[in-house]
Amino acid sequence: MFDGGTHPHPLIEVRHVTKVYKSGTKVSALSGLSLEFQSGEFTAIAGPSGSGKSTLLNLIGTLDAPTHGEIFHGGRKVTGLTPEELADFRLRHLGFIFQAYNLIPVLSAVENTEYPLVLQKVPAHERRARAMEALRSVGLESLAHRRPDALSGGQQQRVAVARSMVHRPMVVLADEPTANLDSKTAASLLDLMQGLNREQGLTFIFSSHDPAVLSRATRVVHIHDGKLADSPAPDGVA
Amino acid sequence: MITLAWRNVWRNFRRSLITIASMACGLAAIMFGQSMIKSVQYQLVEKATGSITGHIQIQHRNIKEYKFPDRYIDDPDAVEAVLKTQAGIKQFGRRIHMTGLIASPKTSMGALISAVQPEREKDITTMASYITRGVFLGKDPKAIVMGDRMATKLDLRLGEKVVVMAQAEDGSMGAEAFRLAGVFHTGSETFDGQIVYLPVKAMQDLLVVGNRVNHFVIALNDIGQTDVIAQELREKLAGQPLQVLRWKDVDHEIVGVQRFQNALLDIVLMVVFAIVALGVLNTLLMSLFERVREFGVLMAIGARPSWVMKLVLIESFLLGLVGTVIGLVIGSLMIAYFGRNGLHLPLGDALSYFIPFPDVIYMRYEWSSHAFAAGSVLVVSLLAAIAPSLRACRLRPAEALRHV
Ligand SMILES: Nc1ncnc2c1ncn2[C@@H]1O[C@H](COP(=O)(O)OP(=O)(O)OP(=O)(O)O)[C@@H](O)[C@H]1O
Ligand SMILES: [Mg+2]
Repeated sequence: MFDGGTHPHPLIEVRHVTKVYKSGTKVSALSGLSLEFQSGEFTAIAGPSGSGKSTLLNLIGTLDAPTHGEIFHGGRKVTGLTPEELADFRLRHLGFIFQAYNLIPVLSAVENTEYPLVLQKVPAHERRARAMEALRSVGLESLAHRRPDALSGGQQQRVAVARSMVHRPMVVLADEPTANLDSKTAASLLDLMQGLNREQGLTFIFSSHDPAVLSRATRVVHIHDGKLADSPAPDGVA
Repeated sequence: MITLAWRNVWRNFRRSLITIASMACGLAAIMFGQSMIKSVQYQLVEKATGSITGHIQIQHRNIKEYKFPDRYIDDPDAVEAVLKTQAGIKQFGRRIHMTGLIASPKTSMGALISAVQPEREKDITTMASYITRGVFLGKDPKAIVMGDRMATKLDLRLGEKVVVMAQAEDGSMGAEAFRLAGVFHTGSETFDGQIVYLPVKAMQDLLVVGNRVNHFVIALNDIGQTDVIAQELREKLAGQPLQVLRWKDVDHEIVGVQRFQNALLDIVLMVVFAIVALGVLNTLLMSLFERVREFGVLMAIGARPSWVMKLVLIESFLLGLVGTVIGLVIGSLMIAYFGRNGLHLPLGDALSYFIPFPDVIYMRYEWSSHAFAAGSVLVVSLLAAIAPSLRACRLRPAEALRHV
């Protein structure tokens, strides 16, 4: 159900989304949030701890389902798809970077990087070439065959960046990607992400509460207690 | 995916090793047990058929106690004619088995009399090979052969006179003098202390039964043909008041023992499988719990829940496969070793009370049973993975990622 059809769909549309966690006491992590993201953005989600940043990114990333409301990707409603359909959707269109790197420990850097392509059943030689190219773009070509436990935190997070973009997703979602890194490493990771955003047009949505990180964003969405605070985004609260 | 599964199997090396070792040892133990029991059974059948029963017997139709037929075959020549034309028979012989009294100059005792055709018996049973003094039955029409225990009890020496008494069909007692031609030692108390052998011709005279006998004993070239040949003989002898008995009919105790052993083996098998299953389940659940977040990552980057489920199943299958292969190798080596060097079994002493039975058995492969056991270990390792794999596939990515 779309509003019109005259203007192109936003990349991502969050409509009246509410998320209530029901573990013991009910926690309302998001309440009636509406938000749009456009292609090519380098957007930060800001807010104090517990404000709902991770929750929002999980919902956008289809890792969790909203209690109420809907989420659209490129005009396509993803709320209500089956777990299998969602997995396929993520495989095609989304990339993830996590706070805790979250590489597969038994796979080398290049094997980790190419795993989305393995799941996409891309032929072996092609996916290896593309994974190496992605590693080159994060500057880790020379460490391609190391396992994660032989890499520093910053290096692991660079591998995670390579993995998140190797399959050319519509958007890369990163929940506090720099929180485990020291400020220098964090800065160079942001340089890397910014470079990918500018040169390859890769869309990033990342969360942080670090002002230094937020200052890099082209757009900052502030949330507070599960609601939008004053945000530069034009599209308002429902 | 296989690569990933394979590496996951080895990431907790010690735990996987313990699981694999338990599977391998379980399988090897099962194979050993199967081989041991089958080897004992093989020996048992071999010895029972080779020392007295033969593979097939032909008796009168109305006989209840097959070991001591109380009725005679009226037309043995007709039976002989049929047996001569039957393929697959190594040798057959006319016999009279009955109980009687054996008297030496000093004392007397009851005995089981096995009256046989001397020249044929050598191809049917191995009794001639147990002779320790003197000779087995031969040309001498009045020769008698007995075990060393009996000879000692009767205080008899080779060449001395023995009187054999038995009840004829009409109830009268027949008696006849024989000469002790040979003494055997089989190690079996029953054989050495209770059985005498003498020529069937002399027994027929003693009992005044003409040329009649109470059974034919048949040795086949291949024991595996028993059922087939017995059936063929049944058809050929259909017109006569006879019955064709297989060794398992005559020696039904052996079949009972086999059943008991097989049941025992099945129970052991189940216990081992239960242990294997619990071991695999434990390993998988532990590795699953440790890797919840990793499954979350895999799902986040686009792995379907069913894919994650398959991953867990494959890991378990690989674990099972390695365990099975190692178990097969260990089991085969053990059987090969005891196949060459023999295994001393106290069981031999117990069994040898009834029939001559060696106390060392040479183990044999039982590939159909071994393959079944190996296949079962694999199946069990897969079954044990079903619950963990279902759990893995039901994980919600967001929750899995929060897991520490
Ligand atoms: N699985 C869950 N079960 C119950 N409550 C949850 C769950 N996840 C989040 N919450 C709650 O929802 C609210 C929002 O949490 P969320 O993790 O989205 O915040 P955040 O902005 O990411 O915080 P932080 O900066 O600390 O990461 C918090 O009050 C949190 O306690
Ligand atoms: Mg968070």
